[in-house]
Amino acid sequence: MLWYKGWLETRFKLLFGCGLLVFFFVSMSSMSPSGGVRAPAQINAFVSAAVIIVAMLSIVLPGAGIATQPSLQATKGLHGSMLFTLSLPVSRLRLVAVRAAIGCLELAASIGALCCGMWFLFPGLRAASTPKLMLLHLLVQLVCASALYFVGVFLTTFLDDQLRTWCSMILFGTLGWLSKRTPKMGALDILRAMHENSPLLSGAVPWLTVAFSCAVVAIAFIGAVKIAQWREY
Amino acid sequence: MRDFVIETTQLAKSYKGQPALQGLNLEVGRGQIFGFLGRNGAGKTTTIKTLIGILKADSGTACVFGIPVTDEDRSVKIRRRIGFVTEDKELYPYMTVEQILRFTRPFFPNWREDLEKRYLEIFDLPPKRKIPDLSKGMRSKLMLLLAISRGAELLILDEPTDGLDPAAIEDVLHELVALAEAEGTTMFFSSHQLSEVEMIADHIGIIDQGRMVVSGSLNDIKARYRRLRVVLEDPVELPTRWASCVEYVRQEGKVVSMLVNGNDEEIIQQVQSMPGTTVESFPITLKDIFLEQVRGK
Repeated sequence: MLWYKGWLETRFKLLFGCGLLVFFFVSMSSMSPSGGVRAPAQINAFVSAAVIIVAMLSIVLPGAGIATQPSLQATKGLHGSMLFTLSLPVSRLRLVAVRAAIGCLELAASIGALCCGMWFLFPGLRAASTPKLMLLHLLVQLVCASALYFVGVFLTTFLDDQLRTWCSMILFGTLGWLSKRTPKMGALDILRAMHENSPLLSGAVPWLTVAFSCAVVAIAFIGAVKIAQWREY
Repeated sequence: MRDFVIETTQLAKSYKGQPALQGLNLEVGRGQIFGFLGRNGAGKTTTIKTLIGILKADSGTACVFGIPVTDEDRSVKIRRRIGFVTEDKELYPYMTVEQILRFTRPFFPNWREDLEKRYLEIFDLPPKRKIPDLSKGMRSKLMLLLAISRGAELLILDEPTDGLDPAAIEDVLHELVALAEAEGTTMFFSSHQLSEVEMIADHIGIIDQGRMVVSGSLNDIKARYRRLRVVLEDPVELPTRWASCVEYVRQEGKVVSMLVNGNDEEIIQQVQSMPGTTVESFPITLKDIFLEQVRGK
């Protein structure tokens, strides 16, 4: 039933994500009415906009299952039901894991829909790339976005939803700024791996960043569980 | 050896160096309705959170059903057998009454559908209504419903009647007593409402500054404590030391008030030996005992 709770917590956030995707596809279609995104600069802008959407989703969807989260807006002070949650015969590990998994699945579904939409709605992109590269692009997006998402999960264990959202935005903004200013961030540059270094644009998989992202996911998740277990609510 | 559902020994807990519990000893026997009393900040909620496994004690031991609450796995097993009403009565704002029942039910193997139906009707809770649209009183009733329906062996209730009107309080207390009698459920509840405690509890504990200052059967306690009213004809120098059963002595002019815990005969004789004094002994209420314990010393 924790899945049910998580679903009720996130369904409107997912709906918001769907709205973002629709907005993205509509605006991209209006920029190239025949779906003819073809020129490298156009594809670049296209992927860049998609990365922003993925980053927004990884800011909106995280949760740790302990503090009460409103369905859509981030509201301060709605933490009263924590005691009810913690009085359930469920370990804190399970509370965190289930909620993190739901958000992660929804993020993955959104990224899947985004990449499928990009591929099937824009013939120009199909002409300029291959299904293999698109699939690799999807996988890189999934792994890198998961890293951003799990940083959010980690923050949720000790910050309220509103503060956590701001922190995530500042963190990702700083990451984006650093990525632009210091092109030699290498494997640490998750945003660049999702954009310029993605298989769709570079033709190669940024393996080091993928490995780094996997490490971030593991560390952030373990950290979140440890904090949830250790913290006195 | 007695069968204690809750047992704590020298339980201590502090928040950032500020002591909340200072060697709390607490024993709640099976089937008891135990009223846990104390001022704001006395340590009631900290005790309850520790018993539920939400807080970890700094030292001492706490056992529920004989199982130590310190370990998380064991704490999960304990929680499966406990019904809990939180102090704040907050539930998920995105659920309806029906949804929160559907959500809670599968966690408890002994969930009682019959009690759920019964109390849903008695408490007149609208199943389709969203939780934020319920009044505070209705939320209190919903929390009670969720706690009772767990089929729990122990109900831990933190201010269970908070937000209820007097008629609803009467109904809820009546239902709790009926439940305890019918199911043999142990109840451990904290309250500021001494009249409520007096109405349903058979045992009480008074906590002050993190320590248990009075604990035992309510009838025994009420029989044990007496107030002596001593009227002095002339100003007399009162003894500075009394027998240990004298909990306090307060003098206002010629009138001296004494709280005696135990045999007051000895004290009466001692007072009567002073020239020109009259002494009367009165039974006292739970409110008097509480007030004297938490602020009279």
